Amino acid sequence: MIDGTQVIDYHGHVGRWDPLGMKDDPKLMLHAMDSAGIDRSCVFNIFHPDGTTGNDETARFVARHPDRFIGFAYVSPMMPERMVPELTRAIDELKFPAIKLYPPYTLWPFNQPQWFPIYQFADERGLAVLFHTDGDELNRPRYLSEIAPQYPNAKFIAGHSGNVVEPRAEAIAAAQAHPNVYLETCSTYRTPGVIEQLVNEAGADRVLFGSDTPLMDPRPQIGKIITADISDEAKRLVLGDNARRLLGI
Amino acid sequence: MTSLNFKSRVPVFDANVRVGDLLDEPAPYRDREGLLSEMDRHGVQRALIYHAHGENVSPIIGNEYLEAWLSDDGRTHPQWMVIPTSDSLVQVQSLHADGRVNSVRLFDTGQRDLPFRPWAYDTLLSWLSEEHIPVWIYLPDADADALITTLQSYPSLVSVLVGAHYVHALWLRPMLAALPNAHLELSRYEPICEIESLRDEFGAERLVYGSWYSRYAMGAMLFYLHHTNLTEAELALVCAGNLERILEGGTK
Repeated sequence: MIDGTQVIDYHGHVGRWDPLGMKDDPKLMLHAMDSAGIDRSCVFNIFHPDGTTGNDETARFVARHPDRFIGFAYVSPMMPERMVPELTRAIDELKFPAIKLYPPYTLWPFNQPQWFPIYQFADERGLAVLFHTDGDELNRPRYLSEIAPQYPNAKFIAGHSGNVVEPRAEAIAAAQAHPNVYLETCSTYRTPGVIEQLVNEAGADRVLFGSDTPLMDPRPQIGKIITADISDEAKRLVLGDNARRLLGI
Repeated sequence: MTSLNFKSRVPVFDANVRVGDLLDEPAPYRDREGLLSEMDRHGVQRALIYHAHGENVSPIIGNEYLEAWLSDDGRTHPQWMVIPTSDSLVQVQSLHADGRVNSVRLFDTGQRDLPFRPWAYDTLLSWLSEEHIPVWIYLPDADADALITTLQSYPSLVSVLVGAHYVHALWLRPMLAALPNAHLELSRYEPICEIESLRDEFGAERLVYGSWYSRYAMGAMLFYLHHTNLTEAELALVCAGNLERILEGGTK
Protein backbone atom coordinates (compact mmCIF):
# COMPACT_ATOMS: atom_id res chain seq x y z
CA MET A 1 0.00 0.00 0.00
CA ILE A 2 1.38 3.40 -0.92
CA ASP A 3 -0.35 6.45 0.50
CA GLY A 4 -3.65 4.57 0.61
CA THR A 5 -3.37 3.05 -2.87
CA GLN A 6 -3.31 -0.72 -3.22
CA VAL A 7 -0.35 -1.45 -5.49
CA ILE A 8 -0.54 -4.24 -8.06
CA ASP A 9 2.42 -5.37 -10.14
CA TYR A 10 0.90 -6.54 -13.43
CA HIS A 11 3.93 -8.44 -14.83
CA GLY A 12 5.76 -11.24 -13.03
CA HIS A 13 7.03 -14.74 -13.61
CA VAL A 14 6.97 -18.17 -12.05
CA GLY A 15 9.93 -20.42 -12.78
CA ARG A 16 13.71 -20.24 -12.76
CA TRP A 17 15.96 -18.85 -15.47
CA ASP A 18 19.30 -19.44 -13.83
CA PRO A 19 21.62 -18.06 -16.54
CA LEU A 20 19.96 -14.68 -16.02
CA GLY A 21 19.74 -14.94 -12.25
CA MET A 22 15.95 -15.30 -12.22
CA LYS A 23 14.58 -17.38 -9.37
CA ASP A 24 10.98 -17.46 -8.22
CA ASP A 25 11.80 -17.61 -4.53
CA PRO A 26 8.70 -16.22 -2.78
CA LYS A 27 10.83 -15.08 0.15
CA LEU A 28 12.88 -12.83 -2.13
CA MET A 29 9.87 -11.68 -4.11
CA LEU A 30 7.89 -10.81 -0.98
CA HIS A 31 10.86 -9.00 0.55
CA ALA A 32 11.14 -6.82 -2.54
CA MET A 33 7.38 -6.24 -2.65
CA ASP A 34 7.15 -5.40 1.05
CA SER A 35 10.12 -3.06 0.86
CA ALA A 36 8.42 -0.96 -1.81
CA GLY A 37 4.76 -1.16 -0.78
CA ILE A 38 3.62 -3.59 -3.48
CA ASP A 39 0.53 -5.46 -2.31
CA ARG A 40 0.07 -8.07 -5.03
CA SER A 41 1.96 -9.35 -8.05
CA CYS A 42 0.51 -11.02 -11.13
CA VAL A 43 2.57 -14.05 -12.14
CA PHE A 44 2.64 -16.61 -14.94
CA ASN A 45 4.83 -19.40 -16.25
CA ILE A 46 5.76 -19.08 -19.94
CA PHE A 47 8.21 -21.97 -20.16
CA HIS A 48 5.86 -24.78 -21.24
CA PRO A 49 4.06 -24.76 -24.60
CA ASP A 50 1.43 -27.18 -23.33
CA GLY A 51 0.18 -24.48 -20.96
CA THR A 52 -0.88 -27.05 -18.41
CA THR A 53 2.54 -27.71 -16.87
CA GLY A 54 3.28 -24.05 -16.31
CA ASN A 55 -0.23 -23.14 -15.21
CA ASP A 56 -0.15 -25.86 -12.58
CA GLU A 57 3.19 -24.53 -11.35
CA THR A 58 1.70 -21.05 -11.22
CA ALA A 59 -1.31 -22.33 -9.27
CA ARG A 60 0.94 -24.06 -6.72
CA PHE A 61 3.04 -20.91 -6.41
CA VAL A 62 0.01 -18.68 -5.87
CA ALA A 63 -1.50 -21.13 -3.35
CA ARG A 64 1.41 -20.52 -0.98
CA HIS A 65 0.53 -16.81 -0.74
CA PRO A 66 -2.91 -16.33 -2.26
CA ASP A 67 -3.28 -12.88 -0.76
CA ARG A 68 -0.09 -11.66 -2.47
CA PHE A 69 0.04 -13.31 -5.90
CA ILE A 70 -2.44 -13.53 -8.78
CA GLY A 71 -1.96 -16.23 -11.40
CA PHE A 72 -2.42 -15.61 -15.13
CA ALA A 73 -3.09 -18.39 -17.64
CA TYR A 74 -0.52 -19.17 -20.33
CA VAL A 75 -1.12 -21.08 -23.56
CA SER A 76 0.73 -21.28 -26.86
CA PRO A 77 -0.28 -21.80 -30.50
CA MET A 78 2.65 -24.20 -30.71
CA MET A 79 0.13 -26.71 -29.33
CA PRO A 80 -3.07 -25.34 -30.85
CA GLU A 81 -5.38 -28.18 -29.85
CA ARG A 82 -4.67 -27.45 -26.19
CA MET A 83 -5.25 -23.70 -26.21
CA VAL A 84 -8.95 -23.33 -25.54
CA PRO A 85 -9.34 -26.41 -23.32
CA GLU A 86 -6.39 -25.29 -21.20
CA LEU A 87 -7.66 -21.72 -21.01
CA THR A 88 -11.04 -23.04 -19.91
CA ARG A 89 -9.39 -25.14 -17.19
CA ALA A 90 -7.09 -22.33 -16.04
CA ILE A 91 -9.87 -19.75 -15.82
CA ASP A 92 -12.66 -21.97 -14.47
CA GLU A 93 -10.75 -24.40 -12.24
CA LEU A 94 -7.52 -22.59 -11.32
CA LYS A 95 -9.45 -19.31 -11.06
CA PHE A 96 -6.90 -17.27 -13.00
CA PRO A 97 -8.43 -13.90 -13.94
CA ALA A 98 -6.33 -13.06 -17.00
CA ILE A 99 -4.11 -14.42 -19.79
CA LYS A 100 -0.44 -13.95 -20.65
CA LEU A 101 0.91 -14.62 -24.16
CA TYR A 102 4.54 -14.76 -25.26
CA PRO A 103 4.99 -14.62 -29.05
CA PRO A 104 8.83 -15.00 -28.92
CA TYR A 105 8.31 -18.67 -28.01
CA THR A 106 6.16 -19.26 -31.09
CA LEU A 107 6.54 -19.05 -34.86
CA TRP A 108 3.82 -16.51 -35.60
CA PRO A 109 3.34 -12.77 -35.15
CA PHE A 110 0.43 -12.30 -32.81
CA ASN A 111 -1.80 -10.84 -35.52
CA GLN A 112 -1.88 -14.20 -37.30
CA PRO A 113 -4.86 -16.60 -37.26
CA GLN A 114 -3.03 -19.14 -35.10
CA TRP A 115 -3.72 -16.82 -32.16
CA PHE A 116 -7.34 -15.98 -32.87
CA PRO A 117 -9.00 -18.74 -30.78
CA ILE A 118 -7.35 -17.22 -27.72
CA TYR A 119 -8.71 -13.78 -28.52
CA GLN A 120 -12.16 -15.22 -29.17
CA PHE A 121 -12.06 -16.92 -25.77
CA ALA A 122 -10.98 -13.70 -24.06
CA ASP A 123 -13.65 -11.74 -25.88
CA GLU A 124 -16.39 -14.14 -24.83
CA ARG A 125 -15.23 -13.99 -21.19
CA GLY A 126 -14.28 -10.29 -21.11
CA LEU A 127 -10.73 -11.17 -20.08
CA ALA A 128 -7.51 -9.18 -20.18
CA VAL A 129 -4.63 -10.48 -22.33
CA LEU A 130 -1.07 -9.39 -21.59
CA PHE A 131 1.40 -9.68 -24.49
CA HIS A 132 5.13 -9.45 -24.56
CA THR A 133 5.76 -6.65 -27.07
CA ASP A 134 8.92 -5.15 -28.50
CA GLY A 135 10.51 -4.29 -31.85
CA ASP A 136 10.78 -7.86 -33.12
CA GLU A 137 8.40 -8.74 -35.94
CA LEU A 138 6.73 -11.43 -33.84
CA ASN A 139 5.88 -8.94 -31.12
CA ARG A 140 5.06 -5.58 -32.69
CA PRO A 141 2.56 -3.51 -30.72
CA ARG A 142 1.00 -2.31 -33.96
CA TYR A 143 -0.76 -5.69 -34.19
CA LEU A 144 -2.91 -4.53 -31.29
CA SER A 145 -4.48 -2.00 -33.62
CA GLU A 146 -5.61 -4.88 -35.81
CA ILE A 147 -6.94 -7.28 -33.20
CA ALA A 148 -8.36 -4.95 -30.54
CA PRO A 149 -11.37 -3.75 -32.61
CA GLN A 150 -12.14 -7.34 -33.65
CA TYR A 151 -12.55 -8.44 -30.03
CA PRO A 152 -14.06 -5.43 -28.26
CA ASN A 153 -14.98 -7.24 -25.05
CA ALA A 154 -11.40 -8.37 -24.44
CA LYS A 155 -8.72 -6.07 -23.04
CA PHE A 156 -5.28 -6.13 -24.61
CA ILE A 157 -2.16 -5.02 -22.75
CA ALA A 158 1.15 -4.21 -24.44
CA GLY A 159 3.78 -5.63 -22.09
CA HIS A 160 6.88 -3.43 -21.84
CA SER A 161 4.89 -0.86 -23.86
CA GLY A 162 7.01 -1.89 -26.81
CA ASN A 163 10.29 -1.23 -24.95
CA VAL A 164 11.95 1.27 -27.30
CA VAL A 165 11.03 4.29 -29.38
CA GLU A 166 9.33 2.96 -32.50
CA PRO A 167 7.38 0.08 -30.98
CA ARG A 168 6.49 2.32 -28.05
CA ALA A 169 4.91 4.74 -30.52
CA GLU A 170 2.94 1.84 -31.97
CA ALA A 171 1.71 0.85 -28.52
CA ILE A 172 0.62 4.40 -27.74
CA ALA A 173 -1.12 4.72 -31.09
CA ALA A 174 -3.02 1.50 -30.44
CA ALA A 175 -4.12 2.73 -27.02
CA GLN A 176 -5.20 6.07 -28.47
CA ALA A 177 -7.25 4.39 -31.18
CA HIS A 178 -8.85 1.59 -29.18
CA PRO A 179 -10.39 1.81 -25.72
CA ASN A 180 -9.53 -1.82 -24.91
CA VAL A 181 -5.76 -1.39 -25.29
CA TYR A 182 -3.55 -0.74 -22.26
CA LEU A 183 0.17 -0.18 -21.75
CA GLU A 184 2.31 -1.95 -19.16
CA THR A 185 5.54 -0.36 -17.98
CA CYS A 186 8.25 -2.90 -17.14
CA SER A 187 11.42 -2.60 -19.17
CA THR A 188 15.13 -2.98 -18.76
CA TYR A 189 15.26 0.27 -20.74
CA ARG A 190 14.42 2.87 -18.12
CA THR A 191 14.59 5.70 -20.62
CA PRO A 192 13.97 9.19 -19.21
CA GLY A 193 10.52 10.56 -19.90
CA VAL A 194 8.88 7.29 -20.94
CA ILE A 195 6.41 7.07 -18.07
CA GLU A 196 5.50 10.70 -18.64
CA GLN A 197 5.02 10.00 -22.36
CA LEU A 198 2.77 6.99 -21.75
CA VAL A 199 0.61 8.90 -19.28
CA ASN A 200 0.43 12.09 -21.29
CA GLU A 201 -0.22 10.48 -24.67
CA ALA A 202 -2.30 7.41 -23.82
CA GLY A 203 -3.87 8.64 -20.58
CA ALA A 204 -3.13 7.68 -16.99
CA ASP A 205 -6.17 5.41 -16.95
CA ARG A 206 -4.53 3.21 -19.63
CA VAL A 207 -1.14 2.58 -18.05
CA LEU A 208 -0.30 -0.33 -15.74
CA PHE A 209 2.70 -0.73 -13.46
CA GLY A 210 4.61 -3.95 -14.12
CA SER A 211 8.09 -5.08 -13.10
CA ASP A 212 9.02 -8.45 -14.67
CA THR A 213 9.69 -9.78 -11.18
CA PRO A 214 11.72 -11.87 -10.39
CA LEU A 215 13.75 -11.44 -13.59
CA MET A 216 14.01 -7.86 -12.44
CA ASP A 217 13.61 -6.56 -8.93
CA PRO A 218 10.33 -4.66 -8.73
CA ARG A 219 11.86 -1.80 -6.75
CA PRO A 220 13.63 0.08 -9.57
CA GLN A 221 10.61 -0.60 -11.77
CA ILE A 222 8.18 0.95 -9.31
CA GLY A 223 10.80 3.60 -8.66
CA LYS A 224 10.49 4.86 -12.20
CA ILE A 225 6.75 5.41 -11.61
CA ILE A 226 7.24 7.11 -8.25
CA THR A 227 10.01 9.38 -9.56
CA ALA A 228 8.27 10.23 -12.83
CA ASP A 229 7.11 13.80 -13.34
CA ILE A 230 3.39 12.96 -13.26
CA SER A 231 0.62 13.82 -10.84
CA ASP A 232 -0.13 11.82 -7.71
CA GLU A 233 -3.53 11.01 -9.19
CA ALA A 234 -1.85 9.52 -12.25
CA LYS A 235 0.53 7.52 -10.06
CA ARG A 236 -2.40 6.02 -8.14
CA LEU A 237 -4.04 4.90 -11.38
CA VAL A 238 -0.84 3.42 -12.79
CA LEU A 239 0.26 1.72 -9.59
CA GLY A 240 -2.94 -0.09 -8.84
CA ASP A 241 -6.32 1.44 -9.59
CA ASN A 242 -6.23 0.51 -13.28
CA ALA A 243 -5.14 -3.06 -12.55
CA ARG A 244 -7.85 -3.54 -9.95
CA ARG A 245 -10.41 -2.36 -12.48
CA LEU A 246 -9.08 -4.69 -15.20
CA LEU A 247 -8.92 -7.69 -12.91
CA GLY A 248 -12.19 -6.99 -11.16
CA ILE A 249 -10.70 -7.00 -7.69
CA MET B 1 7.73 3.53 4.25
CA THR B 2 6.96 4.19 0.62
CA SER B 3 5.31 7.39 -0.54
CA LEU B 4 4.02 8.60 -3.88
CA ASN B 5 6.87 11.08 -3.88
CA PHE B 6 10.57 10.49 -3.34
CA LYS B 7 13.75 12.36 -2.66
CA SER B 8 16.99 10.95 -1.34
CA ARG B 9 17.42 11.12 2.43
CA VAL B 10 21.22 10.81 2.27
CA PRO B 11 23.76 12.88 0.35
CA VAL B 12 24.15 11.61 -3.21
CA PHE B 13 27.14 11.75 -5.52
CA ASP B 14 26.04 10.10 -8.77
CA ALA B 15 28.93 8.09 -10.26
CA ASN B 16 27.61 7.84 -13.78
CA VAL B 17 26.02 10.77 -15.61
CA ARG B 18 26.27 11.40 -19.34
CA VAL B 19 25.95 14.93 -20.68
CA GLY B 20 25.40 16.07 -24.24
CA ASP B 21 23.86 14.31 -27.22
CA LEU B 22 24.65 10.93 -28.68
CA LEU B 23 24.68 10.79 -32.48
CA ASP B 24 21.24 9.22 -32.57
CA GLU B 25 19.88 10.21 -29.18
CA PRO B 26 19.53 13.83 -28.12
CA ALA B 27 19.78 14.34 -24.37
CA PRO B 28 16.58 15.34 -22.54
CA TYR B 29 18.26 18.54 -21.34
CA ARG B 30 20.28 21.10 -23.25
CA ASP B 31 22.57 22.60 -20.66
CA ARG B 32 24.02 22.39 -17.20
CA GLU B 33 21.02 24.09 -15.64
CA GLY B 34 18.79 21.39 -17.06
CA LEU B 35 20.97 18.71 -15.53
CA LEU B 36 21.06 20.44 -12.15
CA SER B 37 17.29 20.77 -12.21
CA GLU B 38 16.90 17.03 -12.69
CA MET B 39 19.44 16.34 -9.94
CA ASP B 40 17.54 18.65 -7.59
CA ARG B 41 14.27 16.85 -8.34
CA HIS B 42 15.72 13.62 -6.92
CA GLY B 43 17.87 15.08 -4.15
CA VAL B 44 21.20 14.54 -5.91
CA GLN B 45 23.89 17.02 -4.87
CA ARG B 46 26.84 16.02 -7.07
CA ALA B 47 27.45 14.09 -10.26
CA LEU B 48 30.49 12.66 -11.98
CA ILE B 49 29.90 13.55 -15.62
CA TYR B 50 31.33 12.55 -18.99
CA HIS B 51 30.39 13.76 -22.44
CA ALA B 52 28.33 11.64 -24.84
CA HIS B 53 30.53 12.64 -27.77
CA GLY B 54 33.35 10.71 -26.16
CA GLU B 55 31.25 7.60 -25.96
CA ASN B 56 30.75 6.95 -29.66
CA VAL B 57 32.80 9.50 -31.63
CA SER B 58 35.89 11.06 -30.08
CA PRO B 59 37.02 10.94 -26.46
CA ILE B 60 39.38 13.83 -27.16
CA ILE B 61 36.69 16.16 -28.52
CA GLY B 62 34.19 14.89 -25.95
CA ASN B 63 36.57 15.95 -23.20
CA GLU B 64 36.77 19.40 -24.75
CA TYR B 65 32.97 19.63 -24.84
CA LEU B 66 32.83 18.56 -21.21
CA GLU B 67 34.41 21.83 -20.09
CA ALA B 68 31.13 23.69 -20.74
CA TRP B 69 29.37 21.51 -18.16
CA LEU B 70 31.79 22.26 -15.34
CA SER B 71 31.65 24.99 -12.72
CA ASP B 72 33.25 25.98 -9.47
CA ASP B 73 30.06 25.23 -7.55
CA GLY B 74 31.17 21.66 -6.89
CA ARG B 75 28.09 19.99 -8.31
CA THR B 76 29.52 18.54 -11.53
CA HIS B 77 32.85 16.73 -11.48
CA PRO B 78 34.65 15.83 -14.70
CA GLN B 79 35.31 12.31 -15.79
CA TRP B 80 37.63 12.36 -18.77
CA MET B 81 37.33 9.72 -21.42
CA VAL B 82 40.38 7.99 -22.79
CA ILE B 83 41.16 5.64 -25.65
CA PRO B 84 44.48 3.79 -26.01
CA THR B 85 46.05 6.15 -28.52
CA SER B 86 48.97 8.50 -28.00
CA ASP B 87 46.84 11.60 -28.71
CA SER B 88 44.31 10.64 -26.07
CA LEU B 89 46.96 9.78 -23.52
CA VAL B 90 48.72 13.09 -24.10
CA GLN B 91 45.45 14.96 -23.51
CA VAL B 92 44.67 13.17 -20.27
CA GLN B 93 48.24 13.43 -19.03
CA SER B 94 48.12 17.17 -19.66
CA LEU B 95 44.90 17.45 -17.68
CA HIS B 96 46.53 15.37 -14.95
CA ALA B 97 49.51 17.70 -14.86
CA ASP B 98 47.04 20.50 -14.18
CA GLY B 99 45.62 18.54 -11.25
CA ARG B 100 42.26 17.92 -12.96
CA VAL B 101 42.11 14.14 -13.25
CA ASN B 102 40.48 12.14 -10.46
CA SER B 103 39.19 9.36 -12.70
CA VAL B 104 38.97 8.31 -16.34
CA ARG B 105 36.47 6.36 -18.35
CA LEU B 106 37.61 3.96 -21.04
CA PHE B 107 36.21 4.27 -24.52
CA ASP B 108 34.80 0.86 -25.40
CA THR B 109 37.30 -0.19 -28.07
CA GLY B 110 35.56 -3.55 -28.36
CA GLN B 111 33.10 -1.79 -30.67
CA ARG B 112 36.08 -1.36 -33.05
CA ASP B 113 37.46 -4.85 -32.48
CA LEU B 114 40.34 -3.83 -30.24
CA PRO B 115 40.16 -6.22 -27.30
CA PHE B 116 40.81 -5.20 -23.71
CA ARG B 117 44.16 -6.98 -23.52
CA PRO B 118 47.54 -5.84 -22.13
CA TRP B 119 49.13 -5.78 -25.58
CA ALA B 120 46.64 -3.04 -26.52
CA TYR B 121 46.25 -1.28 -23.18
CA ASP B 122 49.52 -1.65 -21.29
CA THR B 123 50.80 1.89 -21.74
CA LEU B 124 47.54 3.40 -20.57
CA LEU B 125 46.85 0.98 -17.72
CA SER B 126 50.41 1.15 -16.45
CA TRP B 127 50.25 4.92 -16.30
CA LEU B 128 46.86 4.89 -14.52
CA SER B 129 48.24 2.41 -11.99
CA GLU B 130 51.36 4.48 -11.35
CA GLU B 131 49.31 7.65 -10.88
CA HIS B 132 46.61 5.93 -8.78
CA ILE B 133 43.88 7.07 -11.14
CA PRO B 134 40.72 4.95 -10.95
CA VAL B 135 39.19 3.80 -14.21
CA TRP B 136 35.54 3.28 -15.22
CA ILE B 137 35.04 0.36 -17.62
CA TYR B 138 31.92 -0.60 -19.58
CA LEU B 139 30.46 -4.03 -18.94
CA PRO B 140 27.59 -4.22 -21.46
CA ASP B 141 29.64 -5.67 -24.34
CA ALA B 142 32.73 -6.67 -22.40
CA ASP B 143 34.57 -9.94 -22.82
CA ALA B 144 34.66 -11.42 -19.33
CA ASP B 145 37.94 -13.26 -19.77
CA ALA B 146 39.73 -10.26 -21.27
CA LEU B 147 38.40 -7.96 -18.58
CA ILE B 148 39.33 -10.12 -15.63
CA THR B 149 42.71 -11.38 -16.80
CA THR B 150 43.80 -7.93 -17.93
CA LEU B 151 42.80 -6.18 -14.71
CA GLN B 152 44.52 -8.92 -12.73
CA SER B 153 47.72 -7.86 -14.48
CA TYR B 154 47.40 -4.41 -12.84
CA PRO B 155 46.58 -5.35 -9.26
CA SER B 156 46.84 -1.85 -7.83
CA LEU B 157 44.51 -0.34 -10.41
CA VAL B 158 41.15 0.66 -8.94
CA SER B 159 38.21 0.12 -11.27
CA VAL B 160 34.50 0.81 -11.38
CA LEU B 161 32.60 -1.58 -13.64
CA VAL B 162 29.71 0.19 -15.30
CA GLY B 163 26.39 -1.13 -16.52
CA ALA B 164 26.12 -4.65 -15.12
CA HIS B 165 22.84 -6.23 -16.21
CA TYR B 166 21.02 -9.46 -15.56
CA VAL B 167 22.72 -10.87 -18.65
CA HIS B 168 25.92 -10.73 -16.57
CA ALA B 169 24.39 -12.70 -13.72
CA LEU B 170 26.67 -15.70 -14.23
CA TRP B 171 29.92 -13.78 -14.07
CA LEU B 172 29.32 -10.97 -11.57
CA ARG B 173 30.35 -12.95 -8.50
CA PRO B 174 33.45 -14.61 -9.95
CA MET B 175 34.46 -11.24 -11.35
CA LEU B 176 34.15 -9.40 -8.05
CA ALA B 177 35.95 -12.24 -6.28
CA ALA B 178 38.78 -12.19 -8.82
CA LEU B 179 39.18 -8.40 -8.78
CA PRO B 180 39.43 -7.11 -5.22
CA ASN B 181 39.99 -3.53 -6.41
CA ALA B 182 36.89 -3.54 -8.63
CA HIS B 183 33.64 -1.83 -7.69
CA LEU B 184 30.25 -2.38 -9.20
CA GLU B 185 28.27 0.58 -10.52
CA LEU B 186 24.57 -0.20 -10.10
CA SER B 187 22.63 1.75 -12.72
CA ARG B 188 21.09 -1.23 -14.44
CA TYR B 189 21.71 -4.20 -12.19
CA GLU B 190 18.21 -5.43 -11.39
CA PRO B 191 18.13 -9.17 -10.57
CA ILE B 192 15.88 -9.63 -7.59
CA CYS B 193 17.39 -8.69 -4.22
CA GLU B 194 20.87 -8.80 -5.72
CA ILE B 195 22.06 -5.50 -4.30
CA GLU B 196 21.38 -6.76 -0.79
CA SER B 197 22.92 -10.11 -1.67
CA LEU B 198 26.09 -8.55 -3.10
CA ARG B 199 26.31 -6.34 -0.01
CA ASP B 200 26.19 -9.47 2.16
CA GLU B 201 28.81 -11.24 0.08
CA PHE B 202 31.25 -8.50 -0.88
CA GLY B 203 30.43 -5.57 1.39
CA ALA B 204 28.73 -2.26 0.70
CA GLU B 205 32.17 -0.78 0.01
CA ARG B 206 32.22 -2.51 -3.38
CA LEU B 207 28.94 -0.94 -4.61
CA VAL B 208 28.58 2.49 -6.21
CA TYR B 209 25.37 4.28 -7.07
CA GLY B 210 25.17 5.60 -10.61
CA SER B 211 22.05 6.54 -12.51
CA TRP B 212 23.58 6.53 -16.00
CA TYR B 213 21.32 9.47 -16.68
CA SER B 214 20.48 10.34 -19.47
CA ARG B 215 20.63 6.79 -20.76
CA TYR B 216 18.28 5.93 -17.91
CA ALA B 217 15.87 7.95 -15.80
CA MET B 218 17.72 9.38 -12.83
CA GLY B 219 15.54 8.44 -9.88
CA ALA B 220 14.65 4.77 -10.25
CA MET B 221 17.78 3.12 -8.86
CA LEU B 222 18.09 5.74 -6.15
CA PHE B 223 14.54 4.90 -5.06
CA TYR B 224 15.51 1.21 -5.09
CA LEU B 225 18.53 1.76 -2.85
CA HIS B 226 16.35 3.62 -0.36
CA HIS B 227 13.97 0.65 -0.17
CA THR B 228 16.47 -2.08 0.65
CA ASN B 229 17.65 -3.34 4.02
CA LEU B 230 20.95 -1.53 3.66
CA THR B 231 21.75 0.27 6.88
CA GLU B 232 21.85 4.04 6.79
CA ALA B 233 25.63 3.88 6.94
CA GLU B 234 25.74 1.43 4.02
CA LEU B 235 23.29 3.56 2.05
CA ALA B 236 25.48 6.60 2.59
CA LEU B 237 28.51 4.69 1.37
CA VAL B 238 26.80 3.42 -1.77
CA CYS B 239 25.22 6.77 -2.60
CA ALA B 240 28.31 8.93 -2.08
CA GLY B 241 30.98 7.72 0.34
CA ASN B 242 32.47 5.01 -1.82
CA LEU B 243 32.76 7.30 -4.81
CA GLU B 244 34.38 10.02 -2.72
CA ARG B 245 36.93 7.49 -1.46
CA ILE B 246 37.64 6.14 -4.95
CA LEU B 247 38.16 9.61 -6.41
CA GLU B 248 40.52 10.48 -3.58
CA GLY B 249 42.66 7.54 -4.60
CA GLY B 250 41.69 5.30 -1.74
CA THR B 251 40.93 1.63 -1.99
CA LYS B 252 38.17 -0.09 -0.08
